[in-house]
Amino acid sequence: MPSDHDHKREEIAEEVAPLFEGGPIWRRPAAKIFVIWAIMTAIGVVIGVMLPVHIFPKMVSPQGKDALDTVVFFTVLAAPVAAFVYAIGLYSLLAWRKMSGKSDTPPPDGPPHRGSGLAEALWVGASVVLVIVLLIWGMGFLASETAPQNNVVQVNVTGQQWFWTYSYPGTGVTSNKLVLPVNREIQFNITSMDVTHGFWPVELGDQIDANPGFITHITVEPNQLGNFDVRCSQLCGLYHAYMYSHGQVVTSSQFATWLQDQGASVSSVTSYALGKN
Amino acid sequence: MTIAAPRLEDTKLGPKAGGLYRHQSFFVALPFGIFTAFIGWLVSHALLQNSNWGSDMVVTVTFVSWVIGFNAGIGTFNAPFRWLRGKDQTHDDHLYAAGVGQGWKRYWKYCTDHKVVGTQYLVLVMTLFFVGGTLAMMIRTQLITPHSQFLSPQTYNAIVTVHGMVMIIATIIMVSGPFANFILPIMLGAKDMAFPRLNAMSLWVVVSAVPPILSTFVLGGTDSGWTTYAPLSVQSPPAQDAFSITIITFVVSVTVAGINTIVTTFTMRTKGMSMSRLPIFVWGSIVAAAVGLYAMPAFLMAHSALITDRVVGTSFYAPAQGGAGWLYENVFWIMGHPEVYVILLPAVGAILEVASTFSRKPLFGYKVMIGGIIGVGVLSIMVWAHHMFTTGWAPSLADPFMLTTELISIPTGIIFLCIIGTIWRGSIWTKLPMYFLYLFLWNFIIGGVTGIYLSDVPADQYFHGNMFVTAHFHYTLLGGAMIGATGAVCYWFPKMTGRMLNERVGKWAFWFIAIGIQITYYGQFWEGFEGMPRRVANYAPLFETANQVSTTGAYILMTGWLILLYNIIHSWHKGEIASANPWHAKSLEWHTLTPVPLENFLVDPVVTSDPYGYGEPGSVPGAPAPEPAVVGASSNQGGSH
Repeated sequence: MPSDHDHKREEIAEEVAPLFEGGPIWRRPAAKIFVIWAIMTAIGVVIGVMLPVHIFPKMVSPQGKDALDTVVFFTVLAAPVAAFVYAIGLYSLLAWRKMSGKSDTPPPDGPPHRGSGLAEALWVGASVVLVIVLLIWGMGFLASETAPQNNVVQVNVTGQQWFWTYSYPGTGVTSNKLVLPVNREIQFNITSMDVTHGFWPVELGDQIDANPGFITHITVEPNQLGNFDVRCSQLCGLYHAYMYSHGQVVTSSQFATWLQDQGASVSSVTSYALGKN
Repeated sequence: MTIAAPRLEDTKLGPKAGGLYRHQSFFVALPFGIFTAFIGWLVSHALLQNSNWGSDMVVTVTFVSWVIGFNAGIGTFNAPFRWLRGKDQTHDDHLYAAGVGQGWKRYWKYCTDHKVVGTQYLVLVMTLFFVGGTLAMMIRTQLITPHSQFLSPQTYNAIVTVHGMVMIIATIIMVSGPFANFILPIMLGAKDMAFPRLNAMSLWVVVSAVPPILSTFVLGGTDSGWTTYAPLSVQSPPAQDAFSITIITFVVSVTVAGINTIVTTFTMRTKGMSMSRLPIFVWGSIVAAAVGLYAMPAFLMAHSALITDRVVGTSFYAPAQGGAGWLYENVFWIMGHPEVYVILLPAVGAILEVASTFSRKPLFGYKVMIGGIIGVGVLSIMVWAHHMFTTGWAPSLADPFMLTTELISIPTGIIFLCIIGTIWRGSIWTKLPMYFLYLFLWNFIIGGVTGIYLSDVPADQYFHGNMFVTAHFHYTLLGGAMIGATGAVCYWFPKMTGRMLNERVGKWAFWFIAIGIQITYYGQFWEGFEGMPRRVANYAPLFETANQVSTTGAYILMTGWLILLYNIIHSWHKGEIASANPWHAKSLEWHTLTPVPLENFLVDPVVTSDPYGYGEPGSVPGAPAPEPAVVGASSNQGGSH
């Protein structure tokens, strides 16, 4: 019905028009809200882009980079939304605060507007779009995690209260330090001897629980030489805080040498490094 | 206004009214509970100490005896036993149970008046927050240096566990206890809750659940966090049995309270109070109660199976005998994720009432907001496995759970739309509750956005089990829900206590709390970015600066809460006397006397519109009522009774 339609349009016009009234353009409410929003968005984006990169540890694998990228991307995406809410909140205090809180009688009632179908539809529509973007981002990463190749380097990880043991199957090497070759796909097979632990090689950017009675798997491909820490991410009793060990990503030849230093035979190291066990 | 008819609470009761209730109170229940616990200990110690699971059995029997004994002592079982004996209670008995003629002593008794129960809940919640907050300060003090020896690792783990669980209990009941009991029935125009005795029961059962969890400190300490993941919790000291008894008892309380809230809303509304005129707080409360009815039984099952694993040797969680820790984790989170919305939704409802009242505008998008609340409730039961992305359980479900988790941000986002739409061009009246609305807005956005990071699997693979998670859920539960609840305290304080909360002291408390939260949890986000695991008693030196920032913030935050606590206690005793409707609000609770009479209204109110008609021409007193005039929810004549 046209009259209804006209009425709605009038209502929207009545709500929106005051935002664009009053003096030169920069003095109008809409412009002020926009400026607050733009400043807050800019601050959010700058923080998102600059800060995590500095605080995160130096990642030695692409997975670690993925986590960092996700933080940056989501912060940049969230900044304008949060800034929108904050801008209206702040502006309400600056412009629409009718009376000091000291008064015991309320200010006169505000305009009796009970909602706006347009605003609600826009809001929900925008959230749906954002969620789709987030989903594509997350699912894209999950889909890119390909099945392990057949020349993958296997490492068995065993957690127990309160230390980690790493064994390199076929070589007879068992160690409390996790040494990995660079640029090779590495599959961890993880289990626990007592309670649930969390196997978290921090700078590799991946983790999975070590469950008693089950073997869980993660695959990473370190692409940088360097040190990393392995921490326990699941509260596992008295000395949970002390359950960590050190790791190192080394070149292939250093890796082979290290295995031999640990007592592995040359032939077993060769076949192990080819991923043939 | 003079009232001719005698008030119900002035009724002279017969000398034997109340029967056994006359002799029962907290001060009887406490020694009686200790006595039955002692008997339980004696018997179980004599019979079972030498069996396989001796000390676990003894602890379990002792605390079950305590819970039963305390509740028998307070009067939980009186009425059912009278029915079993073929007697019902007389009218005088009912009035006695509702506290008639007992003055302040009724606050220590099994009192069926919903306003007494609400007040009891408020004191209980503040006590629990004090306990949980003290433990939190001990944790933050321990973490001030990397190799602190302030607490031993065993004590530290016990404190982390009890801090978590006490705070979860306190936050679950912080709004649904005080306000859904005191305020909600008055909002509906009801005389009381639908099941007044169950209402009193829900309070005293949760009171009886507190000593077992505090006793864990002397029973060897629990060491597995509030999540008590099996199999670690199966191997923990007997403290774990006491902990599980607390959970099971608490679930009984929440379930009873939830049913009561829902049934009250569906059956006790006054004339004209249709579902589409319900205050939004009522919607938040009933949806939270319904979600709780789905979630809480899973908590009970998780801990029942845990306690039988420990006490009689079942193997639900023992991998070598066909059980699995994943079973515990699943059942736990089937409770655990809906539970955060059980905490959040009533607080959101309360803060939306504040938004409308102090913007002097109708609630923006009332129906969309109801849809949002229901949407959050429904989706919340489908997201639990996002807590298990990195456990190794069902990796193929990562995509669907990421989907449901991110979907929930759509109905949650409507909360923000509703708040900013309500304050939009409103007449902002910056009283104390409004301060907490702005703080809620600020914190909950940060909590929500960081939650989206965690819903994303690649990011979660870094952040899981990391201080980032701790900071995130404190921003939502403390910064969001608890700040909303604090706003609710400031808002309804005049109605509940008859006195005004001091605004000046309240604003000091506000600024300490607001700044304290930011420093504490920015510090923890920083720790999380750096890669510090959760729940560690000591840490690598590289995390030191971030921890010191967080601890500094925690002390500021503590100062704020202590000022607020002082303010509440002081204003309760000596505050300015409040009028019936100091905020000139429109919902029904402001349109009855303060203090609220027994059965709430001297004449049944009739409602002609929803309570948000600010600035509307039709916003006039409701249907005419006989003397003394009680007006509809849409009244404009605030506070003149």
